Amino acid sequence: MSNVLLRRTIRGVLLTLVVLFFLFPMFWVLLMSFQTNRDILRTPPSLFFTPTISNYVALISGEIQTSVGTLPVDYMKNLWNSALLSACAVALSLLLGVPAAYAFARFKFRLGEDIAFTLLSFRFAPPILVLLPLQLYFQDIGLYDTYFGLVWVYQLITLPLILWIVRGYFEDISPDIEHAYRLDGHSWFKSLWKIAIPLARPGIAAAGLLAFIFAWNSFIFALVLGSSDVQPVTVGSLAFMTASGIQYGTIAAALVLSIIPTLVLALYTQRYLVEGLSLGAVKG
Amino acid sequence: MADVQIAERTRRRHKGITFQRALPYLLSLPALLVCIGILIPFITAIFYSLQRYNLAFPDARAFIWFGNFVALAQDPAFWHTVLVSLEYTALTVGVELLLGLGIALLLQERNWINDTISVLLILPLMVAPAIAALMWKLMTNPNFGVLSYLVSLAGVPDFKWASSPGSAMFTVVLVDTWVYTPFITILLLAGLRALPKQPFEAAELDGVPWTFVFFRITLPMLTPYILTATLFRMLDSMQQFDIIYSMTQGGPGDTLTVFQVQAYLEAFSFSNIGRSAALVIVLWAITYALSTVFIKNWLKLRAKARGAS
Amino acid sequence: MSSRKQKELVKAYYDNNIGRRELLQRMAQLGVGAAATGVLLNAAATDALAASGPDFKKFQGKGIRLLLNKHPYVDAMAKNLDNFKSMTGLKVTYDIFPEDVYFDKVTTALASKGSQYDAFMTGAYQTWKYGPARQIVDLNQYIKDPKYTSPDYNWNDVTEGLRKSDAWDGKAGSELGGPGAKQWAIPWGFELNNVAYNKRILGELGIEPPKNLPDLIEKAAKISAAGKGYYGVGVRGSRSWATIHPGFLSAYANYGQKDFVVKGGKLTPAMNTKESKEFHKMWIDMIQRGGPKNWTTYTWYEVGNDLGAGNSAMIFDADILGYFQNNGTKEAGNIVYLPFTANPAVDKPTPNVWIWSLAMSEFSKMKEAAWFFIQWATGTQNTNFGAVNADLVDPVRDSVWKVPEFQARLEKSYPGYLNQFQKSIGQSRIYFTPQQLFPEFTTDWAAMLQQMYAKQIPIDEGLDKLAAGLERKLREVGI
Repeated sequence: MSNVLLRRTIRGVLLTLVVLFFLFPMFWVLLMSFQTNRDILRTPPSLFFTPTISNYVALISGEIQTSVGTLPVDYMKNLWNSALLSACAVALSLLLGVPAAYAFARFKFRLGEDIAFTLLSFRFAPPILVLLPLQLYFQDIGLYDTYFGLVWVYQLITLPLILWIVRGYFEDISPDIEHAYRLDGHSWFKSLWKIAIPLARPGIAAAGLLAFIFAWNSFIFALVLGSSDVQPVTVGSLAFMTASGIQYGTIAAALVLSIIPTLVLALYTQRYLVEGLSLGAVKG
Repeated sequence: MADVQIAERTRRRHKGITFQRALPYLLSLPALLVCIGILIPFITAIFYSLQRYNLAFPDARAFIWFGNFVALAQDPAFWHTVLVSLEYTALTVGVELLLGLGIALLLQERNWINDTISVLLILPLMVAPAIAALMWKLMTNPNFGVLSYLVSLAGVPDFKWASSPGSAMFTVVLVDTWVYTPFITILLLAGLRALPKQPFEAAELDGVPWTFVFFRITLPMLTPYILTATLFRMLDSMQQFDIIYSMTQGGPGDTLTVFQVQAYLEAFSFSNIGRSAALVIVLWAITYALSTVFIKNWLKLRAKARGAS
Repeated sequence: MSSRKQKELVKAYYDNNIGRRELLQRMAQLGVGAAATGVLLNAAATDALAASGPDFKKFQGKGIRLLLNKHPYVDAMAKNLDNFKSMTGLKVTYDIFPEDVYFDKVTTALASKGSQYDAFMTGAYQTWKYGPARQIVDLNQYIKDPKYTSPDYNWNDVTEGLRKSDAWDGKAGSELGGPGAKQWAIPWGFELNNVAYNKRILGELGIEPPKNLPDLIEKAAKISAAGKGYYGVGVRGSRSWATIHPGFLSAYANYGQKDFVVKGGKLTPAMNTKESKEFHKMWIDMIQRGGPKNWTTYTWYEVGNDLGAGNSAMIFDADILGYFQNNGTKEAGNIVYLPFTANPAVDKPTPNVWIWSLAMSEFSKMKEAAWFFIQWATGTQNTNFGAVNADLVDPVRDSVWKVPEFQARLEKSYPGYLNQFQKSIGQSRIYFTPQQLFPEFTTDWAAMLQQMYAKQIPIDEGLDKLAAGLERKLREVGI
C-alpha cells in the first residue's frame, strides 16, 4: 500500500515541477499583459503592481499610446490572417493527407515508400532555400500577395506532418475490423470513412492540432510572399518594437490574444486526443 | 453462353483488380502533386548554388560549378557551423525526448487533473518561437528579468545566460526545450493512450515489476511514435533559426552560428545568394542523410512490431 | 474643409505677418487643435508647392505604393498624406512592416525585381548594396530637373554632411558625396551619436559629466563599482553592424582612426594599426569595468531601456535614443545631453550618423510620381511641423533647427539637446568607407569585439586576424 502512496507522491512532485517549468513563463507573460512598460522594466522585478487593461484595449481598438503620440495598430487583422491561413492550410492538408496516409498504411504498392519519403523530404528544405525563387515565380503566375498562394505554400509545413503522424496511427489499427467490414460488402471508401478514421481519431486530432500550431507560428512565407494585408500575428507582434522602445506589455497582451484561438482548438481536439479505448478491444 | 458469362465476370474482376492496384496511387498522388510544385524553386536554388551570385556585384555573376562548395569546405567557419548545428540538434532532441516521454508517462492515466494539465502543457508550443525568445530574453535580463532575479536569490548572482560563450548554448537549448517538449509529449501521450490495454492488464495480474513492463512492453510498442516525434524534432532543430537569431544573432562571437543563421546572414545581410544557397543545400543533404537512416529503422521496427503482435 | 478665417490665419503665417505661437493660439480660439493646424499648414504649403513649378497633377488618377518601416516619421507623414493626394491626384497606398523584419522585406522585394513598391525607406549603408546591385535610382536626375522639382524644394537646405552621406559613386573607397557620386537616397530624419547621462545618478555620486573617453571610462567604472545596482555606461554589443556604427565608430573616428585606407591603390583594412589597437583596448576595458553585464546581447532597445529605468548612468549612442527615454519612463526629466569629444587631443566631436532616407526602386513603373512623393515628404514644410509639434527628431534641414519654437521646445524639456546638436552637426557625417561588403565587415568586427570582450582572443591578435580576414574577402570580390 505504502508503495503506491510513495509512487503517487513522487508522481505529484514531478508533475508539479513540470507544470512549474512550462507554465511559469506563461503566467509571467499573462501578468505582463496587465502591466505598463514602466512596471515591467523595474529592478528588481516584482509581483505587485497596479493592473491595467490598456494593452488589450490598444490591441482591440487599433490605437496605441506611446511617448510619441497615438499610433495605429492592425493586430486584429493579423489575428484574422493567421486564423484563416492556418485553418485553410490544415483543412487542405487533412483532405489530402489522411487518404494518402491510409494508402501508405494499408497498401503495399510499388513506389509507395518513395512517394512517402518524397513528401517527407519537403520538410528538409528550410524556407530560406526556396524563398527568393519562390517569390519570383509567384510574381510571374500572379500568386504573390494572395491567400491562395500562401495556403498552397503552407502545405510544405502541414502536409508532411499530418501524413506521417496519421500514417503511424493507421498502421497501428489492426486491419481485421476493416477486413470484416469489407467482407460484408462495403466499399473501401466506407471502410476508410466509417472504421479507420474514427479509430485513428486521436492521431488525426493530434496531427491536425500540431499542424495548426506550426502553421500559426510560421511567418517567413507570409513576410516575403505578401503585402501588409496578409501578415500573420507573429509579424504583427513585432510591430511593438519601435524606435521609441519595446512595448513589452503590448507584446505580452498580443501573445495572450494569439494563443486563444489555438487554445480553443486544443480544447476541442482534447476530446479526440484521449479516445482510443475501443482499440484495446480489437488488438490482442 | 457460359463463356460470355465467365468472360464478363473475369472482365469485372480484372477491372476490380486494376482499380485495387490504382487505388493507393489515387489516394496518395494528390498530396504529392500539390507539393511537387516546390521542386521548381528548389532546382532554381540549386542553380544559384552553382553560381557566383552576389546581388551587390551583378557584373560578376557567373557559373562556378562547385566553387561555392569548395570554398565552404575550405572555410573553418563552415565546419564550426556543422559542429554547432549537430551539437544543438543532439542536445535539444535528446533532452526533449527524455523529458517528453517522462511527462507523457506521468500523464497517461485518464483523470481530470491529467487531462487539464495535458492541455495546459501545450501552451508553450503555441507561442511563436521568435516571441518566446523575446520573452525569455526579457526574463533573463540581469536588471528586469524575473529568472535572473530568482536565480540570484538562489545564490548564483550574475548568471550570464545567453551573453557569455560558456552559457549561451545552455540558454538556447533551455528555450528550445521549453517551446518544443510539448510537441513530443502530445504525440507520445496520444500514442500511449492508443496502446492496447490487454498486455498491461495481463502483466499486472502476473505481478510483473514495472521496469519490465516499461522496457519490454511499453517502450517497444511506443517506439514507432518515438521515432516519428524524434524525426520531426531532429529536422526542425537542424534548421533552427528563430530562437537563436532572436536571442544572440549567432553570437556571442561565433558560439551559435548554426546553419540557418549563417544562411540567413549570407542571403539577407550580405546579399550573397550563391553562397547562401550552397550552405542550405549542404544542410538539406545532411538532413536527407539523417532522415534516410531514420526511416529505414522506422520501417524495420514497424515490421518487427507487426510481426510480434 | 477649413473656414475662411482659418485660411486667412494660415496665409498670414506664411506671409510672415504672424509667428507660429500666435498662429497656434488663434487657431485654438477657433477650436482648431495643434495637430489639425499642422494639417492645415501642410495643406497650404502643399498648395503653394503645387503652384510653384512642376506639373504635379501629371499622374492624376494613377497610384503609387510605398514600403515603409514602422517608425514615428511614418505616422506623422500618414497624417498629412491627404494633402499630397489632393495636390497630385495620386492614389497612395503603403505597406508598413515592423523594423525587426523590415529590411528583410526590402531586400526580397528588390531582389525579386518586382514593381510592387515604388519608393521605400532605407538607411545609407543599405544603399551601398542596393546601389551597385542596380536596384535603386540615382535621384540627381530629378533633383536637378525643374520639370519635376519645385524651386521651393531647396535641396541645399538639407545639411551638407547628410546630403553627401547618402551619395556614392559605387567605387569602393571613394569619398561619399564626392564628384560623380550618385544620390541613392534623400535624407528624411537622422541620428547622431553623443553621450546622454542621468543627472540624478551623477549628482548622487558627486560625479561631473565626462569630458572625454578616458575620463568616461574611469567614471563609468566608478559608477559600476559603487554597488548601487546601476552601471556606468550603456553601449550596444550585439553581433551586427548596429554595434559598430553608433558610439564606437564616432569615438574611433575622433581618434583619427579609419576602417579602411588605400594602400598601393587597393582598399586595405586599417583596424589593426597600433593606435586602433590601443583604442580597442580602451573600449573593451570600458565595457568590462563600467558596461552592462550582458553586453553581447545589447541592442538599441536594451541600451535605451536601461537609461530610462535608471539602471545605467550614461549612454554613448544615438541622441534620439536618449531623447525618447526622457518621456514616460522612470527617469524622465533626469536626462541631459552632452556633445562628446572622445579624444582628449581633439576639440570637436565627430559623430557618425544614421540617416533614415527615402529611395526609389529601379523597377518602379511610376518613377516620376514616386519622386513627387519623396519631394513632398522630405520638403521643408512637411518636416517643419513634425519637428516643432511632434517628436520628429532629428530633422535633416538646417532651417528647421533655427526655428525659434523648435529651439524653445528642446530647451524646455531636453536640456543640452540643442547644444549637443549645434556643437556636433558641423562634423556629423558617415565616417565609414563606402564599399559593397559593409554588412560582412561590420558583422565580423562586432563578432570579434565579442570574442575580445569574452577574453577568447587577445586584442592585438584578434584585430590582426580580423584585418587579414577582411582583406581576403575584399580581394575575393575584386576590390
